[in-house]
Order: sequence, then structure tokens, then C-alpha cells
Amino acid sequence: MIRIALRMLVGDRLKYLGLVAGLAFATLLITQQGSIFAGFTRRSGSWIRDTAQADLWIMDPQVEFTEDRKAMLDSALLKVRGVEGIEWAVPLYKSYVQARLQDGTRVVVRMIGLDDATLTGGPPIMEEGSLELLKQDRAILVDARDVDDGLRLRRGMDDEGPRELRVGDRIDLNEHETVVVGTFRRTREFFWDPVVYTTYTRALRMAPPERKSLGYVLARVKSGHDPREVARRVEETTRLRADTSEDYENRSMDFILAKTGILPNFGITIALGFVIGVLISGQLLYNFILENQRAFAAMKAMGASNMLLLRMVFAQVLFAAFIGFGIGVGVTAVVGLLLHDSKLAFHMAWQVPVFGGIAILVCCLIAAAISIRRVMRLEPAVVFKG
Amino acid sequence: MKLRTYALPAVALLGMVAAVHTVRTSDRHLAAAPPIAPPSPSPFERQIAGAGIVEARSENVAVAAPSSGVIVGVSVTEGQKVQRGDLLLRLDSRSLEAELLQRRAELESARSELARLRAQPRAEDLPPAQARVDASRVAVEDAQARLALAEAVTDRRAISTEELSRRTFAVKSAQAELATAEAELAKLRAGAWASDLAVAEARIAVSKAACERIEIEIDRLSVKAPIDGTCLQVSARVGEFAMSGSTTPLVLLGDLSRLHVRIDIDESDAWRFRPGSAARGFLRGNSELATELEFVRVDPYVMPKRSLTGDTLERIDTRVLQVIYSFSADAIPVYVGQQMDVFVDSPSGRGKQ
Repeated sequence: MIRIALRMLVGDRLKYLGLVAGLAFATLLITQQGSIFAGFTRRSGSWIRDTAQADLWIMDPQVEFTEDRKAMLDSALLKVRGVEGIEWAVPLYKSYVQARLQDGTRVVVRMIGLDDATLTGGPPIMEEGSLELLKQDRAILVDARDVDDGLRLRRGMDDEGPRELRVGDRIDLNEHETVVVGTFRRTREFFWDPVVYTTYTRALRMAPPERKSLGYVLARVKSGHDPREVARRVEETTRLRADTSEDYENRSMDFILAKTGILPNFGITIALGFVIGVLISGQLLYNFILENQRAFAAMKAMGASNMLLLRMVFAQVLFAAFIGFGIGVGVTAVVGLLLHDSKLAFHMAWQVPVFGGIAILVCCLIAAAISIRRVMRLEPAVVFKG
Repeated sequence: MKLRTYALPAVALLGMVAAVHTVRTSDRHLAAAPPIAPPSPSPFERQIAGAGIVEARSENVAVAAPSSGVIVGVSVTEGQKVQRGDLLLRLDSRSLEAELLQRRAELESARSELARLRAQPRAEDLPPAQARVDASRVAVEDAQARLALAEAVTDRRAISTEELSRRTFAVKSAQAELATAEAELAKLRAGAWASDLAVAEARIAVSKAACERIEIEIDRLSVKAPIDGTCLQVSARVGEFAMSGSTTPLVLLGDLSRLHVRIDIDESDAWRFRPGSAARGFLRGNSELATELEFVRVDPYVMPKRSLTGDTLERIDTRVLQVIYSFSADAIPVYVGQQMDVFVDSPSGRGKQ
């Protein structure tokens, strides 16, 4: 009987395609928007994931997210080093500074200062040059993606037009001259300002004078110690906040979600997709059943139970949902693959297809629930009606 | 019909496979770059971390200029070993030398004055004085003879009383003259007055002292090594003006036979420190270069932390206990003034002693 039901569905090509297309569109909308939402939230923690050399991030307790600068006293570093279970700890500087390129283009960049001796916390992949080059005088590293984007010499110099930033070019950071010695590649981030890496003391020298200078302490936990337990101990002795990378990523993400309104924006689109799914599939399914009510009535007349008819309708709905979802999620996936590593934040977390599938299922079930009453109340006599 | 029937389900299946693929690949993230040198790991179970700065055993002796002046000679170079008392540099002493010449001339003058006094009486002065005495004596004899003549006259009418008394006074007057001449001769023979000699001698002593003072001052301008040690830094150059009281030392000396490391321990960790605790120092930039440290002493004054960022702005954010440990200079390639990461063992984690 299920076969008959499916054949009924596939046989009515227009309605069948309409139903599948509607569900596919709804799926596309839900999963696409869901993926972009997941991408944005995930990108808010890119820097933390890229800087995975350490287990713990120690910072001022009021720091809200990665771009927040609330510096601590220098002595915090030594205090952290003295906590039981800490293998090593190094300072890390991060702050916005004014940059002026050779041609006079002015941009705001994010300057990250790495511990001078070890350069712990560096960018994940070097494209040109090497991390050691930072030991050179006035050296900085820039993002390979920024050289023709955020750090492009837009105004151009007298003898040549606008061009991309090159290794060897000079950048004034806060009126201090620096030289680009290499480029790196990192995971795309939620924030857009160009990132430059330099050493900690150089960063301090270039940054505007502040009484407190230490932004973060990166710490590694000795093997055999529980990072969270050590973090708690650090918090107890230093009165600072110690987060594991994961905790800090989540904290940063939550703050950005709360502050930017990304969640309601995407939520509305996703809800819209759901509503469209319900409307289209409900409408088409209802129409389909209305048109085929004589067939159902005939089956009823032949002794088919309500239960059987119910199963038939559900089979049709689930079949349509399966195909619609498969096509929709497939399109999303292919688009995602194509857009991989572009400016569009696309991250198809496993939750996206799972919850997308559940949403489509729910919307089909709602559609079926609307139509099913029609079949249940069907009188076999309808067969003989005009 | 068949194809059409299975086409859409096949596409849907493909879509799901694509989704699974995307989900699996989309979670990639870049592996973190390893540090170029591993940070110094703590060697103890419970530790106090401190920033150490390497200094000479003698501490670093900043040799200063005794007075301001132009440097005319530098006789040491960086890294040179010197003995206590060796000449380090000389400041311009010409003005003092000029004054010394003057003072020496004054001394000479005082000396000749004394010699002059000592040389009295002048030989040439004696014969006239003697002659005067002789003449006076003759005059006395002459007057006495005249008086005798007058007294020999028995007839009182032949000679007036007045004449007699005049001749008597003439004898007395001549005698007085003789006495004067003899006294002057005696004074001349006696030479210079003792008190005058004493004054002249005192004047010589004053001049001599003045000369010696200037000589000492000239000697002061030759700066000498106060200790046995090595020249860590020579910032004196010939021709430069050295300010006395300047904060930059002309020559930095240190005894490098054994190195000390001065460790800043945060005041909030100071209670955990026990004098004599084991400690290990790591060279920055290569945590494999480490050495055991030997406890020397604690500076019992908790002082404001000196920031080592090199910024001109002072950043005093905490106070630190300074603890001094020592290590052999051959243990690791390290220079005076270099920073070290130091971990000090803290046997009791928490609580009272």
C-alpha cells in the first residue's frame, strides 16, 4: 500500500515537484542561514583557536571578548608562573593601534605582541618569511589576506599607483616605524581590522603609554593537572580570570551574540524559512489530498482502515520531506564548499543539518496534520460523487 | 518512467552525502604554530616565579667622575681586567697645573724670604757699623781729652764753669753715641729676629700645603679602579665632557669571578619564599640553558619594582623582594645585565611556617 501511496505522489508530477521544491527551498533557507549564523559565531573565536599553544588564557575579569582590552599589572605574569600546576606562562599583547602606510593611507590595525624570547602565540601558518624574523629590529608580520585588502596602499605613491603591501614595506604604527618582514595565514575572523604581529616589548614601546600594559597571559598546564582545576587555582591566587581556550571562545561568542543582534536577525530568517516550508507543503499536500480524495475513498470502500490511510499519507509526506531536505541541504553543502574560505562566514556545523532536518520534519508533520483530517473524515461514498 | 522515479531520490541522497562531506570538512582549523623556543618550564612542583637580572658578584660598580671636566685619556677598554688602583681614565687638569705652578713659585718666594732672613747680618753692613763704633769711640776719647785738659787748668779764672760743663756733657754725649753705635752693631750681628723667622717658616708651610692640595686634586682627576674586576662598560671617550654626579657611569666595573642574579619576587609571593630554597635559572630564548642557583642573601627591604620594559615612562606597579642567588660564570653563556627566568622552590604551598 505504501508503494501505491508513493506512486500516487510521484504520479502527480506537478504537485510532487511543487512539494519537493517548496521543502527544498525551506531547507535551503534554514540550513544556509543556519550555517552562516554558525560561521559568524565560530569566527568570533578564530583567533583563540589559532592561538592554541596554551591551555589557559589569563586576563582581567572584566574582559568580555577577544577585542576587549582591559590590561593587568605586569606582575600578574610572575604570579601566574608561581601557581601550582603551571608549566609555563608568557605575556601576550593585543590592542588596536593607528597605522599609516607608506603612501599615507591610514588604517586601524590590531597589533598582537608575542613574548620576545619564545614568540609563543604566533600565527598558525607563515606564507612569506618566518616567525623568527620578528626578532629583527622593528619587524612586524602582516596577514597575507590583508596585503591587498585592508593594508592595500590605496592612495598610491608619487611614482606608482595603488598597489598591494609587500614584504619590506614600512608601516608606521602609532608614529613608530616598522618593517614588514613576512606574511602569515590565519583562520578568517569575525572582526575585520587587519592584524599585525610583533614582539611584546616592541608592542609596548609603540602602544600609547598606559600604566597597565599586560593584556593576556598565556599559560600551559603541567601534564597530569586538570586545566580547569589549575584555572580555578590561578583565579584564586591572582584574582584574575583564567579561562580554558574553549571557555574563552564561548565567552567571547556569547558576548558578540548578545551585543550584535546576530541571533535574532538570523533567527527571523530561519523562522521565515520554516513558515514558508509549512505554508507551501501544507497547501500543496492539502490540495493533493483533496484531488485524490476519490482514490482514498475507494480504498476506504475496499476496506482500508483509517490507520492504513494515515500511514499512506505519512509515507507520502516523509518521502517528500526526505527528497526536499536532501536537495536543499545538498545545495547548501555545495554552496558552502564553493564559498569555503571566502569573506562569507559559512560553517556547516553538524547541528545545522540535524536541526534543519528536524524542522522540515516538523513542518511536514504540521502540513500532514492539516490534511489528515480530510482523509479520516472521508466517506467511502465520495467515490460515487460527481 | 523508472529514471524519473529514482532521479529525485538519487539527487536527494547525493545532497545528503554532500552535506555530510561539508560538515566534516568545515570543522577544519589551522594548527597552532609552535613557539620558536619553548618557554622556560617550571622545574618544581610548587614554585615562586621571579624575573632575575644578572649582575657581578661585587654588584656593578659605576665609576663616576670626581669632578666635572674634559676627558683627556682613557686607558681601559671593555672587557679588560683591571687590578685595584689601576688607572682607568684621566680628566683635564691643566688649569690645576697652572695653579700649581703659581703656588710653587709662591713657595719658592717664601723659602727665599726665609733664606734671606737666615742670611742676616749682611756682611757688607758690618764694616760701616763697626766704623761708626770706632768713630764714636774716637769721639769719646776726643771729648774726654778735651775735658781732661780743661780740668787740668788750676786757675778757675782761665776757664769758665760753662766751658767745663759743656766739655763734661760732650763726653757724655759722645759716650751715648758710642753706646748707640755699639748697640746697632750688636743688633746687626745678632741677625734676623726669631719671630720673623717663625713667620717666614709658617708662610712656607702654607705654600707647601697649597701645592700639595693641588697635587692631590690633580691626582684625583686620574680615576683609578676601586676594585679588582672587569670593565663591563666604558662610556668615556677622549674629548667628552664628564659631568660629576651624572647618572651614566664613565666605567662600569664588576667582579666576574662568580655571577649573581638579583631576583624580583612579587610582594604578594614574598611570604612563600624561604631563604636557602633551591632555585633554577633559565636563559631567555633557550630554556635548555639553565643552571642551578645558590642562595646568597635576601635584601630585606621590599622596594618598588623597576620595570624592565625599557620604556622611559616609569611603570611602578608593585613592590618586590629582591633575593640574590649566585652561579658559576662558566655554567651558561650569560652576560651581566641579561634577564633570566627564575623559579624558586616553594616547599609549603600555603599556610603558616
